[in-house]
Amino acid sequence: MWDIDTLSVVYAVTLGVGVSAALIAWRERDEPGAIPLLGMFVGQCIWVAFSLFDLQLATFEGKILWSELLWIGVVSIPVSWLLFSLEYTGRDQYVRPRYVLVLSVIPAVTIALALTSRAHDLLYTTSELVVYQGQTFLNRSIGPWVWVVMGYTYLLGVLGTIPLLDFIRCESTMFRGQSGAILLGTLAPWVSNALFLGGVISIPAFDPTPIAFSVSGVAYLGAVTQFQLFSTTPSAGQHARRLFIDQLQEGVVVVDDHGFVVDMNDSARVVFGVEEERVLGEQARTVFRRCDSAQRHESQGGRETVYSPHTDTLYDITRTEITDSHDRTVGTIFSFHDIGDHVRNQQRHEVLNRLFRHNIRTDTNLIVSHAELLEADDETGDPGKIKRGAYHIEETAAKARAILDVFEQSREQTAASELSTLLAGCVDLIAERYPSATVESEPVPAGVYVDGILETVFTNVLDNAIVHNDGPNPCVEVTVEEYAETVTVEFADDGPGIDEYEQSVIERGTETALQHSSGLGLWLIKWGAEIADGDVTFQANEPSGTILAITVPKIDPGADAEGDLDQLLEP
Amino acid sequence: MAKEEYRSGEIEQTSKQHGRVIATVWRALCRAWRVFQYSSVYVAVLATTEVGVAMLVLEVPPNPAPPVVGLVTFAVYANDRITDVETDALTDRRKAAFVRRFERFLYPLAAGAYGLAVTIAALGGPLSLALTLLPGLFWVFYAANWFDGVTEAFYRLKEQFLLNTAMIAVAWAVTITFLPIAFAGGGVTLTTMTVFTYFFLRVFVLAEVGNIPDREGDEVIGVDTIPVLYGLDGTRRALYLVNLLTIGLLSVAVAGDHLRIVHTAPLLVGAGYSFVVIGLIGRWQNLSGLSQLVESEHFVTYVLLWVVLLLA
Repeated sequence: MWDIDTLSVVYAVTLGVGVSAALIAWRERDEPGAIPLLGMFVGQCIWVAFSLFDLQLATFEGKILWSELLWIGVVSIPVSWLLFSLEYTGRDQYVRPRYVLVLSVIPAVTIALALTSRAHDLLYTTSELVVYQGQTFLNRSIGPWVWVVMGYTYLLGVLGTIPLLDFIRCESTMFRGQSGAILLGTLAPWVSNALFLGGVISIPAFDPTPIAFSVSGVAYLGAVTQFQLFSTTPSAGQHARRLFIDQLQEGVVVVDDHGFVVDMNDSARVVFGVEEERVLGEQARTVFRRCDSAQRHESQGGRETVYSPHTDTLYDITRTEITDSHDRTVGTIFSFHDIGDHVRNQQRHEVLNRLFRHNIRTDTNLIVSHAELLEADDETGDPGKIKRGAYHIEETAAKARAILDVFEQSREQTAASELSTLLAGCVDLIAERYPSATVESEPVPAGVYVDGILETVFTNVLDNAIVHNDGPNPCVEVTVEEYAETVTVEFADDGPGIDEYEQSVIERGTETALQHSSGLGLWLIKWGAEIADGDVTFQANEPSGTILAITVPKIDPGADAEGDLDQLLEP
Repeated sequence: MAKEEYRSGEIEQTSKQHGRVIATVWRALCRAWRVFQYSSVYVAVLATTEVGVAMLVLEVPPNPAPPVVGLVTFAVYANDRITDVETDALTDRRKAAFVRRFERFLYPLAAGAYGLAVTIAALGGPLSLALTLLPGLFWVFYAANWFDGVTEAFYRLKEQFLLNTAMIAVAWAVTITFLPIAFAGGGVTLTTMTVFTYFFLRVFVLAEVGNIPDREGDEVIGVDTIPVLYGLDGTRRALYLVNLLTIGLLSVAVAGDHLRIVHTAPLLVGAGYSFVVIGLIGRWQNLSGLSQLVESEHFVTYVLLWVVLLLA
């Protein structure tokens, strides 16, 4: 059974199967894992071919030569195996030239030692020809470096097996079959090599590993033909999962059961204002403290929320426990959902609610009271107050309409308007409406575009500044400061100034039963600016009055929705 | 009279039936020929014949070289047809349709054929294995952008004028000439080198004639060949020159006693046959038939060699 001719045929067939498999892998070279698998096949073929020539030759020198050269194949297999496993399972971020170079250090040293093996005892201590049942074999006693190589080989083997084990338990029959066939193909030569190294093989100096490669070849070909290896690989799924998490608008932080951060997506990094490399492995508590704990809101609809000073937004937190296959909790996923818009809408709703409950009811009560007095006695009632109450209601209604217009515009696509034109229109309108007032506007830089919604906002700022000014000739100065990405428009009036109480209500963003502003004008300005992604600040003017500054981002007028859609449709 | 009419009708019917049978058989034969041709089995038979010629001229005893070369040729050309299916669609729609239809079988079959060739060659020793693997390496280099993404300097060798054809000719001449010797364990002599040069020139002719039907497709993908750059007349003149070189080589070899006259005579007749056929380039529109006529040179040479050797 063990005559050299029979063994030669077995080796040759194994080589042929390996070459066929390598050609099939070559054809699929664009698929994940195909190139490392090709490398593995080439390594197997080298090992088998040189073992065959070693077997066929009867001379000592010839056998030594081939037994040295076959190390090229031996050491390339474990490296290729690990790379294949990483690429096939979608962990190709580790398949980079520098890692491949590091992995190849021990193989390269081994090849160098093999080619110079007669000059040292690191690889082989003794070499002799032995005859077993009339056949000549080369018997070499292994040196210390062989154990290093074997240890390294089995280490890479185990490391490469771990990612594949995930797919053995996967629900997809296809991936289970692929992984099973690949593992079988890899285990066969390892087991036979281990048996050889352990001295279990009864034939002296005969390593059956090359024969086991025939099992590998058949198993790999089975994976290709029966389980569509390369036609369907799990690599995309792995990447998609990662990509999906990374591109989620929600911030996602994965914390292990010891409270350490083990993963974090891009949105979460923005929420906490950190870089991934600096955060992974840190205590989650430390990371979470980067959000202002003083402004944590525990009562937002009964949900836990957190305020991020890095994004100036509130986030609703959801906790999801991660369990393993034995239902043991191994970690927690924290997702941070941006509820800034929701909270802002809630605040607006509260303000408008107060308006209808309080202001209009007060005015209506006033009108009704004076009307009743007039009805009873012409002298007691004040028709002027009735008139003012009615005007007040009308004014409130006009402001409410303006606010509704602003909200309506916020739902539509942002319309870019040139700031100089927009501001000039507002100034002209106010000048026409209030001839006794003076509105001075400094030259506005050309080519600066802002959200068109600001037209209503600026008109209201000017309107408020003049209406609430008791002087005979109210004056408002408008100045514009352009920055790299933003523009600030300042309105400085010489009126009585805005009450600090009013300012604090507006700045806090919400009203309470005890704290509320007197009207809608400032709310309209604040909400309009927020919708334009800007903010409003107040400052006292000298000698009297207020400087109201609105800072908004500049807009690229070319970036309209249609353009974006076209870009989206491009391949 | 009625009986005669009946007989006449019967004959007519029988004749029609025969016609249908003949037409069916003819169609089946045509289909089989197309499969034979499109699947690369035809090229494999041609290459096997070339090895046969080499073995007869080099007086190498029978060995597995012909089937190994046949298997390798089938594998390499089947793969080449799959790789070039898009450009082939411009020139030979039937071939492209066949390849597309059977691609999922053709490639594994090619890989299996190459594996079998390697199995046989490995038993012949390191040299025969190396020679068998050589066309496989050219397969990889020829058909793929091996250096894609690494450097712009190394782009497809297939696109380089003359280098592409020379590369194919060297690969085949090496395999055809040296594989039988490797199997037989013989050495390289001046006769061997003469035979090698002979096959280099003959394969060069075959390759450039094969480029004629592909010239439109080659032009589209930027592959420079003699038909693309110099047209049909230029190709005819260039191949006349190669044939003259072949005749010169054989004459010198005979004069120098590197080849026996019984071997040289059939080779010269084959080259003469090629001269006549090449004269049809640009004058005969059936390009596929022209290619087959040129390729037939080796069948002619092989048969003539056997005849001469048997007579001698």
